[in-house]
Amino acid sequence: MWSYLFRRLLGLVPVLFGITLLVFLFLQLIPGDPAQAILGERGTPEQLAALREKLGLNRPLYVQYLTFVRNVLTGDLGTSAVSTIPVAEELKRRWPATFELALAATLVAVVLGIPVGILAAVRKNSLLDTLSMSLSLLGVSMPVFWLGLLLVYLFAVNLHWLPTGGRLSTDLAIDFKPLTGFLILDGLLTLNFQVFWDALRHLLLPALTLGTIPLAILTRITRSAMLEVLSQDYVRTARAKGLAERQVIFKHALKNALLPVITIIGLQFGTLLGGAILTETIFSWPGIGSYIYEGILNRDYPVVQAGVLVVATAFVLVNLLVDLSYALLDPRIQYR
Amino acid sequence: MKKALVGLLAFALSLGMAQKTLVFGSNGEPVSLEPGNITDGISIYVQQQIYDTLVAFKPGSTEVTAGLATSWFSSQDGKVWTFRLRQGVRFHDGTELTAEAVKFNVERWWDPKNPTRIDAAARYEIWPYLFGGSKGEPTSILKEIQVVDKYTIRFVLNQPFPAFPAAIASGYFGIASPAAIQKNGSRYGSPTGSAVGTGPFRLVEWRPGEQIVLEKNPNYWKKGFPKVDRVVFRVIKDPAARLAALKAGTIDFTTDIPPANLQDVERDPNLDPVLRPSFNVGYLALNPGYKPLSDPRVRQAIAMAINKKAIVQAFWGKLGLTDGHFTPPPMKAYQSPKVTDYEFSPQKAKALLAEAGYPNGFDLELWYMPVSRPYFPTPKEIAEAMAADLSAIGIRVKLQTKDWASYLNDRKQAPGFQAYMLGWTGDYGDPQNFYDPHFACPISDLFDSTRKPLCVKELGDLLTKAATTPNLEERKRLYQRADELTFNLALRIPIVHSQPLLAKRKNISGWVPSPLGSESFEAIEKR
Repeated sequence: MWSYLFRRLLGLVPVLFGITLLVFLFLQLIPGDPAQAILGERGTPEQLAALREKLGLNRPLYVQYLTFVRNVLTGDLGTSAVSTIPVAEELKRRWPATFELALAATLVAVVLGIPVGILAAVRKNSLLDTLSMSLSLLGVSMPVFWLGLLLVYLFAVNLHWLPTGGRLSTDLAIDFKPLTGFLILDGLLTLNFQVFWDALRHLLLPALTLGTIPLAILTRITRSAMLEVLSQDYVRTARAKGLAERQVIFKHALKNALLPVITIIGLQFGTLLGGAILTETIFSWPGIGSYIYEGILNRDYPVVQAGVLVVATAFVLVNLLVDLSYALLDPRIQYR
Repeated sequence: MKKALVGLLAFALSLGMAQKTLVFGSNGEPVSLEPGNITDGISIYVQQQIYDTLVAFKPGSTEVTAGLATSWFSSQDGKVWTFRLRQGVRFHDGTELTAEAVKFNVERWWDPKNPTRIDAAARYEIWPYLFGGSKGEPTSILKEIQVVDKYTIRFVLNQPFPAFPAAIASGYFGIASPAAIQKNGSRYGSPTGSAVGTGPFRLVEWRPGEQIVLEKNPNYWKKGFPKVDRVVFRVIKDPAARLAALKAGTIDFTTDIPPANLQDVERDPNLDPVLRPSFNVGYLALNPGYKPLSDPRVRQAIAMAINKKAIVQAFWGKLGLTDGHFTPPPMKAYQSPKVTDYEFSPQKAKALLAEAGYPNGFDLELWYMPVSRPYFPTPKEIAEAMAADLSAIGIRVKLQTKDWASYLNDRKQAPGFQAYMLGWTGDYGDPQNFYDPHFACPISDLFDSTRKPLCVKELGDLLTKAATTPNLEERKRLYQRADELTFNLALRIPIVHSQPLLAKRKNISGWVPSPLGSESFEAIEKR
């Protein structure tokens, strides 16, 4: 197990190197001069030249890349060319927001998706099955942007039940100093239940919006995995020996159907960690996705390079965790 | 019972004394709160609350009025400007505003070698842009800064510059505390550093991506201001989300509402639309470096063939106007009464084209911007409308675009674009700021037949003279002539002067938007 883990971690190194190289090359493909993007309409040729020099854009490509890699290896993720804030500082400040939202969205997907998927499989071709599968099709295909605004107008503007965006109400955010950056957790840790409740209310709509697609995918995957398992011989045997249907489904079928489901949860969670640009934009959620997106728009190379590197690392690590969890679920799987 | 009464009383008191917080929906994140280092409108909006400028603009206008300087005058030859400072003004950190402090600030903007400049990015582009160049450059308008006494500062210029007070009044040039800049070093103006001015509000906290909290400056020199205790800039980039936040009451007022939402705002019983006076121009540039466009008759024919009134009505409604002048309405004194826009007439345009030798029209590449700006909120659709008008006189338009940074850059590389859309929002209230960047010799983004940047000598000379003439009446006359010349040349056809749409909740009063794009919130009240 440990040697497996070590080998997998070692395998990360070339993967991450490849990612940095790809990101670097893709950035060169984006047309437009970063200096021009930063200085805008009023930049004079002299200033553009000076800024290019400062940003190191005049140096050969391989020198630029090697400098970036060397800096990363020494723990320096670079400084934003636009805001001049160190990228690491900004990512550190933003990742709790992204993690909290990704976790909440995954929770929405798991808590609703798995039970509905099971029910749909058990009652195959019933009204519930048709309805849940149609809804999940709708969930996958509905534009996130539109759904988010719809929810905001319904629950925030018209019903006034929930806030329109942000992570905390303005007044609370002024006085509250976060400990970890995970506001719900911080509310509990500081016994400030007002903050806890407010942060929870702010999380609800974005989590629901962001969770829709994973929810839909998870429902469908759970259903198909369960259907496959339910037709297996050992399920028939279990039923034949007179086990209660509940026991057949949860103890025999579900456990065996879980592997693909866990894989999907891991993949989806990893994707959500990369940030959800649209959801973050509609709900003014200060996460990593919108940060990298702004970086792309502004040709802010250090932000994009370091941001993608961090997100990719998180994604690969989540997948590693998923692989390790297989061994827990299925005793036949062992890692050596 | 007694306890309950006391509690009730305390509650009532706390209600009465509750801090008045004004929440502004900001359409983006500021880049920096360091004056003179940045030109983006969002940064300037926040800076307007923290800093004062030497000279200010009257609310809602481009007319200059006293700011940190109570009076100013120029020498006979217009080459020396002297400013007398308001006495007893203190920065938020307690240090005093003196002539030395003003000199410290101007030196940083002007001198690229100034050691107190933040080195992380070589910006500070605005001072050389507006004042001819940086220290050491032959084109620099500024020659020397003299501290006459503790409260008097003098700027010695290389040439007369009548617009000097107006230019230094622009929001880029807030006066910051030298002590704070020196103490903070490269962190000054960033989220982890401070931003210290003399303005109505002082910076409390900046949480990037979330909000900026400003608190009332209790020692503000303008007695009775600001009217609220706190201002919070809440960052909500998406316009639809921002409007939703305004409707829900999460924010009190905001800018940059798409023109298409005007009716929606008008219909909402809790909201008021607010119009910012127009101070921009959206134009179609025609490059004489290309064959048919080198003939002024062809350019005039294009100006006649585009139904500008219909386009403005369709895309801006009440929020735009077209009048043939390159400068916007607040510059009326400098506009020629002889200039009335070309009559929309495809027949006359076609006749003019035939006269120029193109009875069957020609092919034209028209570039539209890939981004939305207040002067062109939907560039592609507007370009399509213009293309349709031009096809009526036989001009076959091919629409083109590319990413924004390349767009800005490539139009300046000879031979440039054939025809392209762009615009301008004024930095300060002087026609020079509209004419010089677009028509002074050499024009960086239009070319002549030899692929050199275009220079229309008569116009260039006129603009040089107008920019340096201290006599106001003479300047007016010269700029009116420039208005006529540019109109007839039709190198940049003004399509629109638009009024940006803003909105507020009904309980907000005293908000007078500046034509220059941002203003102080000191006079705003919240009921």
